[in-house]
Amino acid sequence: MEISNIQSLKRIKSLAFAALIFSFAAFSNFASAQGEGLFKAKCATCHMTHKNSTGPKLSGVRAKWESGGAKEGSIYQWVNNWQTAAANDPYAAEVAKWSPTAMSAFPDLKKEDIDAILDWVDAQPDPSMATASNPSNPLSPNTPVEEESNSWIWIIMGVIFVVVIMAVGGVRRQLKIATSDDDIEAEKMTYGEELRALAWKYRLQVGLVSLVVIISIIVALFQSLYSINIMEGYQPSQPIAFPHSQHAGINGIDCKYCHNTVTKSKSASIPSVNVCMNCHKQIDGAGKPFEGQIKKIYAAAGWDKEGMAYTGKTKPIVWNKVHVLPEHVYFNHSQHVVVGGLDCKQCHGDMTQQSETVKVQPVEELNKIEGNIKLTRKTLTMGWCIECHGKKDVAIGNGKNAYYDEVHRRLKKDPKLYAQYLNNDGKVTVNELGGWECAKCHY
Amino acid sequence: MKKIVYTAFSGAALTMSLFLNSCVSNSDSPGLEYAPDMYRTPSIETYVDYGEVRGRINENIKGRLTAMTPPRNTIPFYGTDSSEVQLMMPYFRKPNIAFRETHGLYGWDYSTADEYTLAVADKNPLLLNANNADVVIAKGKELFTAMCQHCHGEKGDGNGPMVASGAYAGVPNYVGLAATEGQMFYSIYYGKGNMGAHGSILNKKEIWTIVHYIRRLQDANYGKFDASGAAVVANVSDTTNAN
Repeated sequence: MEISNIQSLKRIKSLAFAALIFSFAAFSNFASAQGEGLFKAKCATCHMTHKNSTGPKLSGVRAKWESGGAKEGSIYQWVNNWQTAAANDPYAAEVAKWSPTAMSAFPDLKKEDIDAILDWVDAQPDPSMATASNPSNPLSPNTPVEEESNSWIWIIMGVIFVVVIMAVGGVRRQLKIATSDDDIEAEKMTYGEELRALAWKYRLQVGLVSLVVIISIIVALFQSLYSINIMEGYQPSQPIAFPHSQHAGINGIDCKYCHNTVTKSKSASIPSVNVCMNCHKQIDGAGKPFEGQIKKIYAAAGWDKEGMAYTGKTKPIVWNKVHVLPEHVYFNHSQHVVVGGLDCKQCHGDMTQQSETVKVQPVEELNKIEGNIKLTRKTLTMGWCIECHGKKDVAIGNGKNAYYDEVHRRLKKDPKLYAQYLNNDGKVTVNELGGWECAKCHY
Repeated sequence: MKKIVYTAFSGAALTMSLFLNSCVSNSDSPGLEYAPDMYRTPSIETYVDYGEVRGRINENIKGRLTAMTPPRNTIPFYGTDSSEVQLMMPYFRKPNIAFRETHGLYGWDYSTADEYTLAVADKNPLLLNANNADVVIAKGKELFTAMCQHCHGEKGDGNGPMVASGAYAGVPNYVGLAATEGQMFYSIYYGKGNMGAHGSILNKKEIWTIVHYIRRLQDANYGKFDASGAAVVANVSDTTNAN
């Protein structure tokens, strides 16, 4: 097998890296550990080894300063206090223009400490090269695959079948006429008369078939009537393929971080793009399959990745609303989450497992989740709401909500009613406190 | 005669189309809708595109709807309790002009001074005392868990699940952090370094509550009071004596 030039170069490079790392491991194990610790404690907030961040990348920074014509030792002075260095060294003064954000002063770092940090930084392999040689990434982007609609194929096939049947019938009829002895009688019969005669001849079969057809029409009619306003499985396409499993699952971000008005308002809120940028300013997905998706965030936020600056030119991200209730229904998230103490997954399912953006989960899926109240009616229908209001208990008299404490106080005054509430299921449910009143949701 | 044929034919076609219809599922469609004018409200609701209302199309606003931050200088309604309302008033410190490029804070009033440094002496207006400390700290923990811990970590050591999964790097440890509570507030509100501005998703009371909890993470005795009602940690009295 022949090894191409690039491959052999890569090998040499990786060997060189290995040798470099080995030499560091062998000779300066202690110093390197110290450098790593100091880097993470002091520098990592603003600096990354191979990528510009709040501060510039630090890999090879000493060599860069040296070749740039910086004075001897001025880089150490810079770390201790950049203003002193900038005053003494024109190169440092030039470096100060890199970003308007001033670097913090670290007067307690000695020259050996700074060297230990920079030695450790220089020993780190470039992660972008690692991804280039290993393109297989477990996290693939969930590009919505355009589902080919089958209905046209069926219609075309149906038309072809009808044409074939009619053609065969026509040929058969022609043949019959041609071979018939009594051609006068055959000629008299029209298509309709022939069909009627045929139907009469096979009246049992025809009757059964028409019965089946009529019943299926009725069933289909009722099925389509029952599907009106059932939104289970509704999953509109979204401008950005946002995997909830990555954000809420692997990275452990709380639902309330992005949907932060859920405890305060009727709507749970779609995060504005600045919330995305709180993490994605650093996570640019360079070289990963989802880089294109993150570029859409940058375009919306007006973030110039190369210049590491916001341009102020923003663009809307038009998300599509998924859980839609009709106008005549009032639903309030904060009431259910804060007062009712419901978890998001009761209605939205386990988003930490969902690789797609979001869809209306069928009730069967919701019932599989541990801790959920088990319901039978279809999601986002009135029956579903009513059923839950009949099962969910209200935490009254725990001192957390003045309104329900008052309800509790009055119920205690009326032990008969209280006992009646508790008798059915041992708890005071939402419907017993008026949760089934029409005006609770419709007004 | 012909009529029967037509009836039979159209009946078959109807059946076929109904059956075919039920086979096709389009996840982009919310399904069949009855009386759409009862569903699509002409009154203003969140995240609804009003580019098309009851068949009338307004090209100027169609497809331009996006999630936005609260308008600047608006304050949340916080009852009529004057001390709470005072806490909700717009933050008096301004961002530096550089925050436009570093944190995308365009369209603000800017300060030429280094307000982060000036914030060093700002005191937490949410006073802790022996009665409310536990409630405030518990609320702070709740907010911290939802808003901060994915990066900063449950213990504030800068090793949250985002950092642990390798997605994000460079989160400082709270212990040994050289920032006063006023600077913590400023950093949360306007952002600092890689951290974005959180003023749009947390109100001032919530931020000050989180600041209390961060100080508890730095010092396990912060916000604890002994039997006489005196603060265990000396500098907590800074806050009780403020204002």
